[in-house]
Amino acid sequence: MIVARGLTKTYGPKTAVDHLSFTVGPGRVTGFLGPNGAGKSTTMRMILGLDRPTSGSVTVNGRSYAASPAPLREVGALLEARALHPGRSARDHLRWLAASNGIPRTRIDEVLDLVGLEAVAEQRVGRFSLGMGQRLGIAVALLGDPPVVVLDEPVNGLDPEGIRWVRNLARELAGQGRTVLVSSHLMSEMALTADHLIVVGRGRMLADCSMADFITEHASSYVRVRSPRVSDAEALLRGNGLDVDRLDDELRVRGRNAAEIGELLGGAGLYVHELALVQSSLEDAFMTLTADSVEYATHPAETAGAVR
Amino acid sequence: MSATPTMSTAPARPGSGSSSAADVVRLDPNRHVPGVRQPGFAQVLHAEWVKFWTVRSTRWSLGLLFALGAGLTTLVCWAAATDLAAGDTGEAPAAFLTWGLLFSQLTALALGTLVVTSEYGTGMMRATVTAVPRRGRVVAAKVVVLTVVLFVAGVVTAVAGYLGGNWFLDREGVGLALSDDGVLRALLGNGLYLAGLGVFALATGLLIRHTAAALTVGMALVLVVGNVAYALPGTWGEWVAKLLPGNAGGAVAQVAPFNGGAVLAPWTGFGVFVAEVAALLLVAVLVFRRRDA
Repeated sequence: MIVARGLTKTYGPKTAVDHLSFTVGPGRVTGFLGPNGAGKSTTMRMILGLDRPTSGSVTVNGRSYAASPAPLREVGALLEARALHPGRSARDHLRWLAASNGIPRTRIDEVLDLVGLEAVAEQRVGRFSLGMGQRLGIAVALLGDPPVVVLDEPVNGLDPEGIRWVRNLARELAGQGRTVLVSSHLMSEMALTADHLIVVGRGRMLADCSMADFITEHASSYVRVRSPRVSDAEALLRGNGLDVDRLDDELRVRGRNAAEIGELLGGAGLYVHELALVQSSLEDAFMTLTADSVEYATHPAETAGAVR
Repeated sequence: MSATPTMSTAPARPGSGSSSAADVVRLDPNRHVPGVRQPGFAQVLHAEWVKFWTVRSTRWSLGLLFALGAGLTTLVCWAAATDLAAGDTGEAPAAFLTWGLLFSQLTALALGTLVVTSEYGTGMMRATVTAVPRRGRVVAAKVVVLTVVLFVAGVVTAVAGYLGGNWFLDREGVGLALSDDGVLRALLGNGLYLAGLGVFALATGLLIRHTAAALTVGMALVLVVGNVAYALPGTWGEWVAKLLPGNAGGAVAQVAPFNGGAVLAPWTGFGVFVAEVAALLLVAVLVFRRRDA
């Protein structure tokens, strides 16, 4: 369980994370979503005690990360940028990590096997491809068999097979009752992985809800109506209190489903040439949501003033 | 040990499909991987020891330290033995027995710097402080590993240099016995001085965080500034020169100083050096603990 309260980080006049409060619960995959520069990585660094919050706090299993006597056994993390020495072999990298937290050496072979790197374990990691580096990062995260797993952009650089593997792994970890937080700037990826969504933009919370609620609330849908008597149809629908937009000879109707709209028009004797439910994709919903946060950023002077 | 299932049994191999519902278990937040112990300083020390020996730069630096320290001492003693015996150099033969230190100290500086800056350069530092959030412990472990290794390397190098160099001096009848004044002290002093210098470089690295910049600052302070300071006028200039870390700490590692450079008495100088290194390390640790990693 990860709990953030009023978490804030400023760098000079720039606010990277702006009063974020959220809870990441166990047993489900929580997607941490936002465009680049939204403050995802900064938030994750604060969870891991790498960066010190300017104000607010974040706890893991009830205490700050730094207070954990054996943090690798409590929280496993894949950091966004590679955090390893290119001259060291994969096995040696896991060896020192295991040693630092009193994890038995047998566990090293287990995680190497788990991520499929056993054949290249003795190779220096400088020669690893991006995908192999990500797999090693996941091995590091799972080394201590932690109940909380934090993955920052885990699918970066992975091939389609690797992406699917990470997706299944995240779901599996959550299925075992672990707390899983996965960051991404790709809504399409989250749609397939996450049960719960935390969406941030410009360091601010934009949404914190289940994936289903997110779809209902933000992925707007409308019914497209075409009729030879488009003006009459428009007047009728408006007369019934529906929300109607007109684009040339097309009507976009919100507030009722297609069947109801069809019956309304048919009842008035109006021919209908097209009647279709149009559901915007999650990607569009995400774009719309974060577009607002980009608009917000076009007044940087205000932001700067608020921080000082 | 706990009986709760661990990840090891999970069929999460790449390419294999999703898990069955049977894998769903409740996790005890206090459970452990079988066989783990509560980590303490010994574990951090072990981790730093593994890190230290699993990069190539360590072997390179230590190899170079030995080659420069012992090799150059021997070479210079061979070349200068005749002149020394004739008294043409105006220097005591004893001063030449640790001649290689002038260069081997560079490798100690490099090693000390890299122990920290290579972690910043590669992003490793983030992994280090996530594994061990108590940053004071990280520095303490690095210091222990570095001082032990540099002390041993320094003494071994100095002894080899003494044996090689003194062989040539002996042939000309100006050799020194181990029991002669200052010889044993200098051999041990080599280890002490190089260990101290390594910690000095480590602290510089923690403060500066960039390999090239930290190396330049360390070498400039110990070598360039240390020598240039002797050109300062008056008594205060002499004191400044004497108190600079390289000059203060170097005295303990030399059987006898070369002429022209006033130095503190060996153990007094080493005391000053240790105090300087400790002060710098303290500042570095305080900054390191506060700073974002």
